[in-house]
Amino acid sequence: MVAGMITISVVALVAFILDVTVGSFPYHIFCFPLNILVIALWLTAIIALYRKGTASPFTKYMLSRGATWLALSVMAVVGVVLGLQRVPATTSWCVVVAILFVLTHLSFVILRGWRNIHGVRVRFILTHVGLWLALGAGFWGAPDREQLRMAVDATPTNEAYTMKGTLSILPYEIALEELIVERNEQGVATHYEARVCLEDKSVVLRVNHPYDRTLTQKIYLASVKETAEGDVAILEIVDEPWQWLSMAGIVMLILGGLLLFMRGPQRDNRIVG
Amino acid sequence: MIVGWNIFPYVALVVVLLSLLGAIVALRSKERSSRAMLLTGLGIATMALFIVGLWMTLDRPPLRTMGETRLWYSFFLLLAGLFTYGRWRYRWIMLFATVLATVFMVINILKPEIYDQTLMPALQSPWFVPHVSVYMFSYALFGCATLLTIVAMVRPKEDVERAIERLIYAGMAFLTFGMLTGALWAKDAWGAYWSWDAKEAWAAVTWSLYLVAMHLAPSVMRHRSRTLYHITLILAFLALQMCWYGVNYLPSAQTSIHTYNQ
Repeated sequence: MVAGMITISVVALVAFILDVTVGSFPYHIFCFPLNILVIALWLTAIIALYRKGTASPFTKYMLSRGATWLALSVMAVVGVVLGLQRVPATTSWCVVVAILFVLTHLSFVILRGWRNIHGVRVRFILTHVGLWLALGAGFWGAPDREQLRMAVDATPTNEAYTMKGTLSILPYEIALEELIVERNEQGVATHYEARVCLEDKSVVLRVNHPYDRTLTQKIYLASVKETAEGDVAILEIVDEPWQWLSMAGIVMLILGGLLLFMRGPQRDNRIVG
Repeated sequence: MIVGWNIFPYVALVVVLLSLLGAIVALRSKERSSRAMLLTGLGIATMALFIVGLWMTLDRPPLRTMGETRLWYSFFLLLAGLFTYGRWRYRWIMLFATVLATVFMVINILKPEIYDQTLMPALQSPWFVPHVSVYMFSYALFGCATLLTIVAMVRPKEDVERAIERLIYAGMAFLTFGMLTGALWAKDAWGAYWSWDAKEAWAAVTWSLYLVAMHLAPSVMRHRSRTLYHITLILAFLALQMCWYGVNYLPSAQTSIHTYNQ
């Protein structure tokens, strides 16, 4: 127990020092395929340590209730810190280490739960694996996520910009065909939509109704501008290859939540993390 | 018929009187009283009629402003109190729920926060109603659980502990549903399931603290001290208040994408 806590405290301290000296965590380095390789190594290490059982002080700690309370408390503290910041420092080393700790602990708990399954433990699997997938896909998939912005008017364009302002040339062109803005008596926009020409197709973009260009890429209508020179639609192009894993985790968590309601507290605590 | 905020004080008076009568009858009965449940049920039905009427008048779900969410909270709080009384027969829970619901109704009368009737484009989504209403219901369940926690801290009783735990499980189910429908909506609206926006961050804090409580609950930790469990529940409820309206007063709210509440 003490060894496990010491290891985690040292890692947290190193993360803090790195935040102060180096700056943000270099997320972009871990894009595909490096993130897959790191996941493979991480999971291999977890399985190897788990197989050692309580002979490993780290495993013993990771399977303890103390680790569960710490992991959840760490999540709460991360939330408080990020919730107080105007621009959440999600790329801080401390945040990265905190999420990695939660995911690692969750992996150990799932391994034990899976092994100790007696009868149907659907709720345990749905809640724990669901959280592992939703949190893990967001964490490991973040370097592969690409978000671009572009201003589109009647002239076809393929120029988009990253959130840091770097030019990115798209393999297709987009042109604005029509912009519809409806306003109430006070002049407040109550509805707006843009019809754009994209890859020889006419596509309607509305708020909350993005266009699925591919399985991983969606195009959003971010805002509109009505100028004297003509109408402009601001589009956002988001490519998120890991989105389906996140979605799977979210659906599992919702179903697990449903079972929480239906079954309530259970006295069996064999595999509760 | 046009149902607006101008008639709310009268509606609130009827709701409070009926619920209060129901609570007093419940308090005076040794067994579960159907008369008490009927009176409170009538109060809740009156509130439901007002909400339906307001919805039709506004031509949008009344879930946008702080005043509107407080209206739902009062409604669900009474409903959760009635459910808890019907299920576990705590004679005093309906009185607590009525007092708490009355506080929120009075705030709505004194500080109505009724602005324009339009529903901004960002909120025009099929996720809007389930996301907000389910959240409000979970808040009400946690409100009842917090009241019971305070009672348990003063006078520890095994059946009260069991009721708290059941309410926390039910509340967590609805909170999880509310939070994750929000994540699915966020993906459609902004392109990311989760962006650690101030509101999302405080939702994560609330969720995590209730998870800590669930892992400290009596069914899991039968022989441990319950003080930490009760303190965690109180902290989780405070985090919930931050997530609901407290976040609006933080500097981080200025850059928040959840800026619909007024």
